Amino acid sequence: MFQPHSLLWHYLWIAPCALLLVLAFLMWHRGLHKEFPAFFSYAIFEGAGGGFLYAVDVIPSVSAKVYWWSYLFFLVLEAFIKFLVIGEVFTHLLRRYPPLGKFARSLITGVGIILVFTATVIAAYASSTPFWLISGTRILARSVSVVQCGLILFILVFAAHFRLRWGRAVFGLTLGFAIVASVYLAYWALMADWLFGQKSYLLDFLNAATYHVCVLIWFYYLLIPQRSAAPSADALPEHNLELWNRELERLLQ
Amino acid sequence: MNLAFILIIAAVVALGIVVRLTVAQSLQGKRSVSLAAAVRPIDIEAFRNLINPAEDEYLRRRLPPAQFRSVRRARLRAMAAYVQAAGRNAAALVRVGESALASRDPRIAEAAQQLINHALLLRRNTTIALARIYIALAYPNSGFAALRVVDRYEQLSGSAMLLGRLQNPATVVRLSSRT
Repeated sequence: MFQPHSLLWHYLWIAPCALLLVLAFLMWHRGLHKEFPAFFSYAIFEGAGGGFLYAVDVIPSVSAKVYWWSYLFFLVLEAFIKFLVIGEVFTHLLRRYPPLGKFARSLITGVGIILVFTATVIAAYASSTPFWLISGTRILARSVSVVQCGLILFILVFAAHFRLRWGRAVFGLTLGFAIVASVYLAYWALMADWLFGQKSYLLDFLNAATYHVCVLIWFYYLLIPQRSAAPSADALPEHNLELWNRELERLLQ
Repeated sequence: MNLAFILIIAAVVALGIVVRLTVAQSLQGKRSVSLAAAVRPIDIEAFRNLINPAEDEYLRRRLPPAQFRSVRRARLRAMAAYVQAAGRNAAALVRVGESALASRDPRIAEAAQQLINHALLLRRNTTIALARIYIALAYPNSGFAALRVVDRYEQLSGSAMLLGRLQNPATVVRLSSRT
């Protein structure tokens, strides 16, 4: 079951790609592609690109070298699109809070610079192997994971610190990307140092299963409507107001 | 090998934070707003004294350098406690404002938006002020002013009061001369 080219292996590679293409179609059908153009592009890219890589992997006539070059090219484009999605999520989050806009952008720029520097240092300490193409791809993936995981975590912590209210879809996108980024970081950390050797395919199952779950999270948050909150819970209770008035009077004395 | 373990630990910590924040986020929508429990009273006069640069200058002139640094650190720690309390109050009011934002009454929605804006600005200022206080703890001789925190706190209280009046018009509210 947990072997390369087993039924589960094929399913975990193909199913998320197919689901993402379905998600992209449903987003387009509901007009969500205008609201989340970067994520819409990401869904199409991952669906089509993942399917292409699967074909390259299973077709016997294609060499391993071609596969790794294709994978490297895919990885570079994927990293670029993921950064666009992170930017899109952050923009959506801040849309309702203009007073924080400038401060938040300065902060995320600073965090981004620190993360890129950290990722560069980590890449510089990578161990060299004779398979430079595979090593290079894994080290690049690890560096990108460091930056993406850091940025998404920053957005989540920033929103929690300021008690910002997430839109349902935006929260779902961020949650999915946060889980993927965390698991990818651990995955690429192990892969880049060749710690699992010949058994590294076992990590592929964990990685692919996590990604599958995250695709389902995106389905849930993007396509299932939010239940409206009961308005009775929104009112400021009178005794609380009195407390505030007391504090205010003290404050303004 | 060591680097891999560090990154794996970082990934596990990140995942833990994600799960914790997700649970907090889902609970936040279900909890009713309890401002009385969230708001911590602040003695503004004591806070003003703490952040008064003239008092710092007076202490600097009167005390030997070592003693001044010790007193200054104690004052900075007290200042940090006040700033943290102001930040927590701001966070509580962001939630109150968010809850009121969905009101059908445009006056309440507008007051709620104003409250959110003021609360966020105060929260931002308290974040910056805390960072500066911690830096000042390391270098007690450096100057530091947290006046903007107090100013924002006053604006925030005004917004909270306005929203409260609109939401509960029956409640008797005594206004001070400044509102």
